[in-house]
Amino acid sequence: MSDLDNVHDAVERLEWDERKEDDNPFKRWRQFTRRSALTGGAAGLAALALEACGSSSSGTTSKAATGGGSSAASIFGGSGGYKFTMVNHVTTNPFFAPTQTGASDACKLLGCSYQWTGSQTSNVSEMVNSLNSAVSAGVSGIAVSLVDQTAFNSPVAKAISGGIPVVAYNADVTGNPRLAYIGQDLYKSGQLLGQRIAQLVPSGDVAMFIATPGSLNIQPRINGALAALKATPSITPHVVASGAAVPQELSTIQAYAKGHPNTKGMFAVDAGSTQSVAQTIQQQGLKGKVKGGGYDLLGPTVTLLHDGYIQVTIDQQPYLQGFLPILQLYMYKASGKITGIADVDTGLKLVDASTVAPYLSASAAKFTK
Amino acid sequence: MAVTPAPTGTAPPGPATRRAPAGGALGLVKRFLTLREGSIIVITVITIIFFATSANNFMTGSNFKTLLPYFAPYAIMAAGEVFVMINGEIDLSIGAAYLFIPFWFHEVHHWGLPLIAALVVALLTAMAIGAINGFFISVVGITSFVATLGMLFVLDGITLVMSHATPVSMPSTSATGVGTFAQIFGAGTYSEFIWALAIIALLQVMLVLTRWGVYTVAVGGNRLGAAEAGISVRLVLIRNFVMCALLAGFVGILEAVRTTTATPDPSASNDILFQAISAAVIGGTLLRGGAGTVVGALIGALFLGVLHDGLVIKGVSANYLSLYLGLAILIAMIANTYVSRVRSGSGRG
Repeated sequence: MSDLDNVHDAVERLEWDERKEDDNPFKRWRQFTRRSALTGGAAGLAALALEACGSSSSGTTSKAATGGGSSAASIFGGSGGYKFTMVNHVTTNPFFAPTQTGASDACKLLGCSYQWTGSQTSNVSEMVNSLNSAVSAGVSGIAVSLVDQTAFNSPVAKAISGGIPVVAYNADVTGNPRLAYIGQDLYKSGQLLGQRIAQLVPSGDVAMFIATPGSLNIQPRINGALAALKATPSITPHVVASGAAVPQELSTIQAYAKGHPNTKGMFAVDAGSTQSVAQTIQQQGLKGKVKGGGYDLLGPTVTLLHDGYIQVTIDQQPYLQGFLPILQLYMYKASGKITGIADVDTGLKLVDASTVAPYLSASAAKFTK
Repeated sequence: MAVTPAPTGTAPPGPATRRAPAGGALGLVKRFLTLREGSIIVITVITIIFFATSANNFMTGSNFKTLLPYFAPYAIMAAGEVFVMINGEIDLSIGAAYLFIPFWFHEVHHWGLPLIAALVVALLTAMAIGAINGFFISVVGITSFVATLGMLFVLDGITLVMSHATPVSMPSTSATGVGTFAQIFGAGTYSEFIWALAIIALLQVMLVLTRWGVYTVAVGGNRLGAAEAGISVRLVLIRNFVMCALLAGFVGILEAVRTTTATPDPSASNDILFQAISAAVIGGTLLRGGAGTVVGALIGALFLGVLHDGLVIKGVSANYLSLYLGLAILIAMIANTYVSRVRSGSGRG
């Protein structure tokens, strides 16, 4: 418990910082994800880093927010005042809202600033342009979600040879010279889901829904799941493309469920399809007859998981995908490029009915307003 | 027959004499502003100065190289769109052509054709798309908005079906390097810029000095009158749509080669459509037709590119970016409108 004192301290400082904000569901969700991220999976890493920052724990908390910044510079060395750029492929997607919060919190703790940019529509050309602009601007570090096999290779190489560290988050490719990847091991998470499917559905037809086949951030998941399901030959998986937007996904999955009454399980590998699977099971009265599950923690997914319509979902901790890249880039710069960078797997966390309750209370608050 | 002698003395004062040349520098400024592109040039220069002074690293050689892909592709697409807009029409399918043609190029090359032949086939297909657009609009009589909208969805669908929604890697490029073909057609640092300058220069000359351009303006300004005067309106419309689609497909290939992949994402291509049309309109081409400028489209694209690049360099986050872009466009167009009154006041129209 003593290891986590600094972590709790840091969380309290950040919450004190936000005390003037109106109490709204988003604020509670943000505080919840921050708390669970810092005291949950990354407790050890965060505690270690914050032990160094937490020298002013006895000071007043109003000074602590700014004190955190200057004490970080005095502890780590470096000049402070760093500016980081995070390049994203869907900048307005709500999935990345906790990611932005994580990055913002890391900046408050360390006394630096960050910029959230990229494309709204997975436009690789726009993302490459933003990355090059950040390099031209001479920022201190760049975090980018690598959503293309080759397009980012030479821009990232140019950035690194120009002295700007680049890490990847949320999506990764082989052959790219980025320094580290912070995110979910997509293939392994798919394998884990496949193993859980085999436990839930001993035999029969299972539908696997994927929003956009071929997309680099979800295709490896389904590949992993199918590979794991090969070990259970009594299960017959069927891969179905559900579509890029949630309404379309819902219609596709509803039509599939109606047309295939013998399906024993419906599982998905992206957030929108998982929510649609849960809603379909609920709307068509398939609870108990059809097992369901998938990825991410959209509101309906969590509620319906709690109520037993689906059995499992995977949390990839989007908060950490913003917090840790900033932390790593900061330490890399402050230590003079000696240390700071490390690959981090943020999400092999299976959430089921027994562990979903804390998630539910935050999103219930999110929905009561 | 007695002829009334002309009145002695000078001609009665009228608009001709009101336009006495103002002295020196002021006259030069006025003449500059009466150019159709004058106002947008002024605004672009002001924007560049703003970013140069408030963001370090903006006026650097490396940023100039970064800036080029922000505007060169849109300049080329906008140039083609200008000809269509002068006719009073609009081509909404340029984004979809931008999306589809690189895939088609990849497919044809995959079937075994060498690079240049595949490129020619892909560009001919783009021209065919434009011809179909032109046919529906001028022969069948569908409004251009609807006809090109339909073509947009058709091309998006064909792209998704052909590609199974999976990105493909462009020929002549690989994870380790790019070949000469790719260097010329998009991957080289200055390649898109040089193509843009060459195409803009060619099209501006076409617009101002050739029959193609003059007929285009005539058809746009007064379609019935042009037809009565003997111009083949259908031919003019069709060839402008052909050129527009050709340029859009060409830009699609340039951009796909530059990023080494073609991504089948229709929402991204709709974004590109808006940028190209904005560049054309901001540059001084009227939506209602009858007048336009290709050089203005280049400057309009440059303005948008400088704005985007400058804001990213300044560290503005994505959500604010849209806000500032919108505000900047509104301010630019307000200035444009006021300055255009100088132009119409001076009688140059």
